[in-house]
Amino acid sequence: MRHGLTGSIVAAAILFLAPTIAVAQTPALPRTPDGRPNLQGIWQVLNTAAWDMQDHAARLGVPAGQGVVEGNEIPYQPAALKRKQENFANRATADPETKGYLPGVPRIMYTPFPFQILQTPTHVAMTFEYAQGVRIIYTNGTPHPRGPIEWWLGDSRGRWDGDTFVVDVVHFTDQTWLDRAGNFHSEELHLVERYTMTGPDHISYEVTIEDPKVFTRPWKMSMVLYRRKEPNVRLLDYVPALLMEEEQAELERRKAN
Amino acid sequence: MTKTCLTIALGVVLAPSMAAAQTPERPPTIAGCPTENLAFHNCALQKAKAFNPPRTPTGRPNLQGYWRSRLTQAFSVEGVPADHPMVKDPLVPWDISPPEIVEPANRKIPYQPWAVPIGREGVNFREYVDPRTTCSTGGVPRLALQDASQILQPPTDDHVLWLHDDHHQFRVIAMGQRPPVGRDVKTWNGLSRGRWDGNTLVIETANFNGYTWIDDSGNFYTDTARTTERLTMIDADTILYEATFEDPTVYTRPWKVSWALVRDTTPGFELMEEACREGDRNLPRIREQGYKLYFAAPWRLR
Repeated sequence: MRHGLTGSIVAAAILFLAPTIAVAQTPALPRTPDGRPNLQGIWQVLNTAAWDMQDHAARLGVPAGQGVVEGNEIPYQPAALKRKQENFANRATADPETKGYLPGVPRIMYTPFPFQILQTPTHVAMTFEYAQGVRIIYTNGTPHPRGPIEWWLGDSRGRWDGDTFVVDVVHFTDQTWLDRAGNFHSEELHLVERYTMTGPDHISYEVTIEDPKVFTRPWKMSMVLYRRKEPNVRLLDYVPALLMEEEQAELERRKAN
Repeated sequence: MTKTCLTIALGVVLAPSMAAAQTPERPPTIAGCPTENLAFHNCALQKAKAFNPPRTPTGRPNLQGYWRSRLTQAFSVEGVPADHPMVKDPLVPWDISPPEIVEPANRKIPYQPWAVPIGREGVNFREYVDPRTTCSTGGVPRLALQDASQILQPPTDDHVLWLHDDHHQFRVIAMGQRPPVGRDVKTWNGLSRGRWDGNTLVIETANFNGYTWIDDSGNFYTDTARTTERLTMIDADTILYEATFEDPTVYTRPWKVSWALVRDTTPGFELMEEACREGDRNLPRIREQGYKLYFAAPWRLR
């Protein structure tokens, strides 16, 4: 009996503690020598935000998707909402992506192509297959340069908030869209991105979007970045403008022969 | 196409790269070495033996910082002699300069006979749009010829990142042995593997698409090319840069260029986004002159 009771207590203790342990135990994160989460590696989204950031049914060539916008509503000002609708109607030709330009931020984060993060104590660099884009994020405490500057991928300054990497991005053009569904912004776009590793192979990516010319209030997107695990994975390139040109060259060659 | 037309077109072709391509003045010495490329190369190899470079926390030579290529010009890796016709070109005169080639001894690209009429101001130069003018990468090593670059060495020692102002290009150099990549995987800047040979960063690159040129003259390699670059500090602010080209399709033997990378110490200096395609107005004007798009046509379809 005594023996049995001890057994029961032990069993109860295990039952009681087990869920607590499971909850409290964050998976060990890879860390750099200076103790920061090691974000390095090749990452890619697995969602449909490139086509449409909001909830949408399938369209020809567009997978159905659950949106990445918090609450699913984008708080457009009335005139901006009208423009978004026009953009959507004309998207086959009006989307700047069709010209092969740098796609802007955050759009470049969820193009369905891989990108690689490299990290030193003073820099976090993101190199993208898509359009050979590159973001150099300074973590050396320097402020944004004085504007106005219109860069396609903006100016990024980062800092660590505990284990979360926080990036402030300004100095954009008004020439890029947010997705293929006509969502857009102006040159007054201001982003705050938060990168939090939730395990060795996942980053929770959250971005707050602010643009006083287009939206009535700041709003948020969130998604997961997945690590590419293939042992031989390398960052390759996809340069749309040059691929278009290569097709053109083939056409001209065929015509000449 | 008339001769006048050709000259005007050449001016247009070269103008965009010229804006950035002003050949910097060649100082009498760099890091105490003479500045003719071969003399520099020989002197710098000696200097490198005696110099103990600054180290990263993990003990690797610390190459990090901003760098600018010196002892380079945009026109021809074979150099521009004083009697070269382009020196007197009314629109885009080339600067007289020594070859960047340090091997072989005649300092010419050792082309196989079929390739001679294509490179070296041949078919490429006369008939094709310089691919760099279409806002592509300059390619290896041309992307490092003109503008500033930045080297980052993550403390995990598994990669070196070489960022270039030139059309926002970058090279991710995977350190150490990696599984091989199939040769049908082709890229603009190639895929690079790096290793340390003493104090030298050695970068071996293959998987090129062969769509880039080596210089303004249309000198070229194909998709079977391999490059081996060696970066060795010879003083705190100078790197000896060497690049060896091998390509069994085009050359009869390996050949090598060499120049200096000199640290940019401007306070507050940072690389800037050099969007090119997004503001380009030149290509249609060049194309109107009848120049064809390159994409390796002169060798790919031969």
